[in-house]
Amino acid sequence: MHQYSILIMRWFFVVVQIGVFGLAISRLVVVMDNYYYYYAMGVIVMTMYSVAIFTGYEIYDEADEGYTEYLLALPLTRRELVLGRSLAGGIRSFIFMAPVIAGFMILIGIVNPLRVAAALIALYGFAFGVSGLSITLAVGLRSGDSFDIVMGALDAFIVRLSSALYPIAFMPGPIATLSKFNPLTYAADLFRWSLDFNVQYLSNPVTAVVVLIIFLATFNFAGVAIYERNLEGGAWK
Amino acid sequence: MAAVIEHDLRVFFKYRFTLAGLISMNLADLLIMAVVFTNMVSFNYFRFLAPGIVAMGLFAAAFVIGREVNNETRRGYNQYLLSLPLRRSELVVGRMVAGGLRGLLYASPLLVLAMMILQFPTSTQLVLMLSAMYLLGMGVSGLAISLAVALRSFERFTTARSLLYLMLVFCSTVFYPLTALKQIVPAPLVVLAQWNPLSRVSDLIRGYLIGTPAVTAQGWYELLTFSGVFIFVGAGLYAIAIGRSVR
Repeated sequence: MHQYSILIMRWFFVVVQIGVFGLAISRLVVVMDNYYYYYAMGVIVMTMYSVAIFTGYEIYDEADEGYTEYLLALPLTRRELVLGRSLAGGIRSFIFMAPVIAGFMILIGIVNPLRVAAALIALYGFAFGVSGLSITLAVGLRSGDSFDIVMGALDAFIVRLSSALYPIAFMPGPIATLSKFNPLTYAADLFRWSLDFNVQYLSNPVTAVVVLIIFLATFNFAGVAIYERNLEGGAWK
Repeated sequence: MAAVIEHDLRVFFKYRFTLAGLISMNLADLLIMAVVFTNMVSFNYFRFLAPGIVAMGLFAAAFVIGREVNNETRRGYNQYLLSLPLRRSELVVGRMVAGGLRGLLYASPLLVLAMMILQFPTSTQLVLMLSAMYLLGMGVSGLAISLAVALRSFERFTTARSLLYLMLVFCSTVFYPLTALKQIVPAPLVVLAQWNPLSRVSDLIRGYLIGTPAVTAQGWYELLTFSGVFIFVGAGLYAIAIGRSVR
């Protein structure tokens, strides 16, 4: 029941964000024609981020319940454990958002299998990287409270300091600069590019692919390294 | 009653992680999102949103008391509260007053920020704005307490809280003017947005700080009606809930 209510609420949140906030705010935007689609695509990527980040919270729950010791006792390397969890985090986010993504693609008439595949790969790659980031922070910070506060602040600033909600072209200098270092910017723009959105407002897709690969590789390797260092011998408790 | 208020205020500032998340969200909305949208819409969105953020922050902070009351009701903490040398009415009124004060304390720095961005009001206007905010805080606390005791299950409470939050925040004039909302939602939701206490307080603060929309007596009546109803309903349900805990 708990999981169901969380899932339904998150879906509802996405629908309200796209169906009410997105429509209302797009009535006010005067600098671009199809801002509503731009916003809706950004909300999809943003929600993937929020769902993938939950992987870190589970690591704390497992430590509380004594499940970490069981995982460490399994015939798996730490690398397999971290990479497996990151991959699973990505898949889970993907499954969660699948009905919304499918509905949205049907709504805007995207049926080209190549474009659909490119959009899905962009989303999955990003969610995989975010799961790695979440695991890295969870095992690196060691405190559930610190993790909570870091994730809360990250959630607020990562989303707003990115092109998820608005194009870089309309950001003032410092905000635009910071958003260029944000992987969410490239994930959102790559997703939009795959769905044939006007490239005038998007980052270069090649740059976006490179940034996403660096992002997912960095945080998954960092996750493995920190996991190995912090978990052995029950040091992380 | 002062002891109840003091206790609730002390507890509120122990939620430092919740408060840090809330402050980050409010500041990010105002200092980043609103700044960018100002470059994309035909009016100064930053000035428009500042009062809305005050109302939204106040709403979220005042709602926290619902989670506490829900926990207390489920865990039998009400029995301890009843054993204290307090009249039941002092306990109930103390909690409602504290809920309003929590919201007001949280949102006051946001109001100061909004005044710095927009303009400093006259002392009368300042008193009226703080009164409106306190009324909203008490009304929201009453609403949160009503939900907390009516839905004892934590999952149901958090689900209802999220639904209410979505409905009241997005179906209001916090983020956009009523004219934009009228174009996209059916008439009953427009009525809800007009009566929504978040809209009322956002628009009252806008009226006092930027002059539009004009402050009207109707705006005050609607805010008083919402707050009055939920203060009494919340107090009544809470009194019943703590009474039941000893049977």
